[in-house]
Amino acid sequence: MTAVAISRAALILTVAALLAVPTVLPLLGSPFWIDVVAEILIWSLLAASVNLLLGYVGLLSFGQALYFGVGMYGAALSVIHWGAGFWGGLAVGVVAAMIMAAIAGSVAVRLTWHYFAIITVVFSLILYFAAMSAKPITGGDDGISFSVPDVVSLGGLKLSLADQSVQYYTILLVVAGFYGLFSIIVRSPLGVRFMAVRENDRRAALVGINVYVTRYVAFVLAGALAGASGALFAFFGRYASASYMFYHVSGEAVVWAIVGGAGSLLGPLFGTGLLIVFREVISTFWEHYLFVVGAITVLVVMFAPRGLAGAWNDALQVLTRSKDAGTSDTTASSGEQDLAKSTTDATRGGSGA
Amino acid sequence: MSGLVLALAVNGLVWGLIIALIALGLSIIFGLLDIINVAHGDFFMLGTVVVLVLATSTGSYWLALLLVPVIGLGVGLILERVIIRPTIRQASLTIVTTFGLSMMLQEGVRATYGAQPRRMAAPIEGTIPLFGIDYDVYRIFAAAFATLCLIAFFLFLTRTKLGTWIRAVRHDPETATALGVPVARICAITFGLGTAMALLGGAIAAPITTVEFRTGVDILPFCFMAVIIGGLGNLQGTVAAALLLAVMEGLVTSVTDPTIARIVSLGFMSVVLLVRPHGLFSGATR
Amino acid sequence: MLDGSDGAVALSVNGLTRRFGGLVAVDNISFDLPARRLNAIIGPNGAGKTTLFNLITGEIRPDAGRVKVHGQDITGLKPHQIVRRGVSRTLQIKSVFTGLTVAENVRAAVMAHEGLVSPFRPASSYGAVNQRVEGLVVQVGLRKQLNTRASALSYGDIALLEIALALANEPKLLLLDEPVCGMGPQETEQTVETIRTISESVDVVLIEHDMEVVFAIADEIIVMAQGALLARGTPAQISSSAEVQEAYLGAPEEAD
Repeated sequence: MTAVAISRAALILTVAALLAVPTVLPLLGSPFWIDVVAEILIWSLLAASVNLLLGYVGLLSFGQALYFGVGMYGAALSVIHWGAGFWGGLAVGVVAAMIMAAIAGSVAVRLTWHYFAIITVVFSLILYFAAMSAKPITGGDDGISFSVPDVVSLGGLKLSLADQSVQYYTILLVVAGFYGLFSIIVRSPLGVRFMAVRENDRRAALVGINVYVTRYVAFVLAGALAGASGALFAFFGRYASASYMFYHVSGEAVVWAIVGGAGSLLGPLFGTGLLIVFREVISTFWEHYLFVVGAITVLVVMFAPRGLAGAWNDALQVLTRSKDAGTSDTTASSGEQDLAKSTTDATRGGSGA
Repeated sequence: MSGLVLALAVNGLVWGLIIALIALGLSIIFGLLDIINVAHGDFFMLGTVVVLVLATSTGSYWLALLLVPVIGLGVGLILERVIIRPTIRQASLTIVTTFGLSMMLQEGVRATYGAQPRRMAAPIEGTIPLFGIDYDVYRIFAAAFATLCLIAFFLFLTRTKLGTWIRAVRHDPETATALGVPVARICAITFGLGTAMALLGGAIAAPITTVEFRTGVDILPFCFMAVIIGGLGNLQGTVAAALLLAVMEGLVTSVTDPTIARIVSLGFMSVVLLVRPHGLFSGATR
Repeated sequence: MLDGSDGAVALSVNGLTRRFGGLVAVDNISFDLPARRLNAIIGPNGAGKTTLFNLITGEIRPDAGRVKVHGQDITGLKPHQIVRRGVSRTLQIKSVFTGLTVAENVRAAVMAHEGLVSPFRPASSYGAVNQRVEGLVVQVGLRKQLNTRASALSYGDIALLEIALALANEPKLLLLDEPVCGMGPQETEQTVETIRTISESVDVVLIEHDMEVVFAIADEIIVMAQGALLARGTPAQISSSAEVQEAYLGAPEEAD
């Protein structure tokens, strides 16, 4: 088998496993875990938004929780005040997050490196404090709750999020849709521009790419992913709270993305999954699991900056060495490049022309 | 009434001096190692906790106050060696490393010291009349002591060989290497020193704030604001900005919600970040 | 290019000035470079050659002066806009998309030139683009390395890849900054040959420290010193100029 074939098989296996969750987990006597997997799917979109910026255009944002929060409130408020349905609320959440990202991004992407990270945190802090004090609208720290509308309501057919399986499959559908879109975009000419900017922004400008606009577009798209994540989480928890806009949430998303492997499409999904499962398991008997998460973060940056996806690629390369020897060299230079190189063969659908 | 406003301004000044000390630590680390140290606020928190624990066990706040910066230096040197140096190559990821470190510090303190916020008794009791209200003597002492530390720090940078080396590496690491300055060791010492300053700030502030594992989270943005508004690489500017911000927040708090004050400061900081191109824009063409 | 210029001007620089603090890097410099000639700029380190290139390509804004390429004023435009007007360059420190393969590198450049931004269609499905990518890769002689990551290329091959990237916008003017710097004799020979071939269809200006290369391929040479134009002429004229000898060739040369 070639690396591409193995990756494809792994992808099919993952999808099959995700589809089987509501059937299989209750048989194992743990329906509680269905919600855990649903939560992983939702949060992984936030990690994906970090990944789109860090892994595909080379910008580290520490403020994606802002767009998560806007998506969350967009969904919650539109349900409460406008009587929006599930799909309407989701759309409002995503669009609101994109608008927020379009405003913040217009100035943020003028900065790079550390300064970009700082300005994204600062913007998210400003809105966090604003949301905290705008209690009448946002409910501040306590948040606002609402009762969920039906997902589908056609004549006799009514599907409600109150049903655990319906909720799970709805979330899976939306999340898979966004991953599908993400994967199409990064393979497109726009995605080629993203990667050119990530690899070398000066050369990108010297081949005629408008670096600013390219980063801006990525920033707004990342806002959409974070917004979708927030909107779904609002429906999942039936509430929205300003506390989710704090920079620790952004930081956790960065950790998930890096542990999973920035620059690979599905790496962050696995990173999120690993750490959330870890949290659920450890926190039942030790409440200080965050200490270990912190340690894992440091260790991953130290020893495996390409994350799970990097390890997976290395394993694939060993398995298929003879086939791929010429095409996927990963002789490591320093860290920046390592991160950049973590783009997997799987996500590019094979390399080369 | 104006007495109260003035007292709040003085309160701000006291905090400004302590924060200046912490922010200077952040600034030298940022300037020299090019690291965004997200854990810096937690070093402050560690200072408050350590001074409380030491003061309780030794019975002397003053002894604890002396020991804390030494412990801070040790902690900083160890962390630099174990965590920072191995990851420094991944320039953009140091923020992630220090975020991980921040989680470890907070959770580590919560696991050992506990989650309960505590208050520390002021080592100097009593009040003096100030603008018509009774003002804590310890706060006056804290301000004076922080000022002394600031002066000592600037004297250290300008008058000692080590300080000169730190400035040299900060200004131009390549030339410094060529001149025989042990750059790696200077980086380690700088990180240790910056950490020590944050812990010392915590030790000074412990009797006038709550002592718990989360206090670093509030201090951190404030330190960053001081560093950025003061101008990166401009140490005197950092001190001035810390004082200005603290007094401003103190005053604004007297008329309105402290959150509004924080939003105003953060907004101001964004504008400075964007408008003052003092090497802030690495831009698309670089 | 055998018969030389017919009076058309490839690059026209007029009163170009740029200061960095107290230092005048480029000092009120003016010249016209004839089209269909291979022009070289030489000068000691710190003469302002690279700054001049940066001013032409818009990476640095001039304090004063204008730049025209084939009669079209490009002063004050952004780098990517200047590239789209047919000016390309290579850098002294070779600059490519390190983590991408040779094909992906060139594809990024070709797609940027074609103005392709679709977020939906797979990038590999553009037949015309693939053909151009292949053509450019063959042109610079990297056919065998098509699917090799740039990070795994030899130094000489990276330089060739960079030239391929610079050619992707079908440039009318190509600026090469020390194209053979750091190369061995064989790589130098191959690169010089590539440049010579390119210069038959594109106006080339190169900065170079290797005098052997300059005198071998340049039709005309400009000598810069301390941000100003010191002399210009044919290789024969330059090598016999006493003024140039004194300011430049006489001094011990350090290619850095």
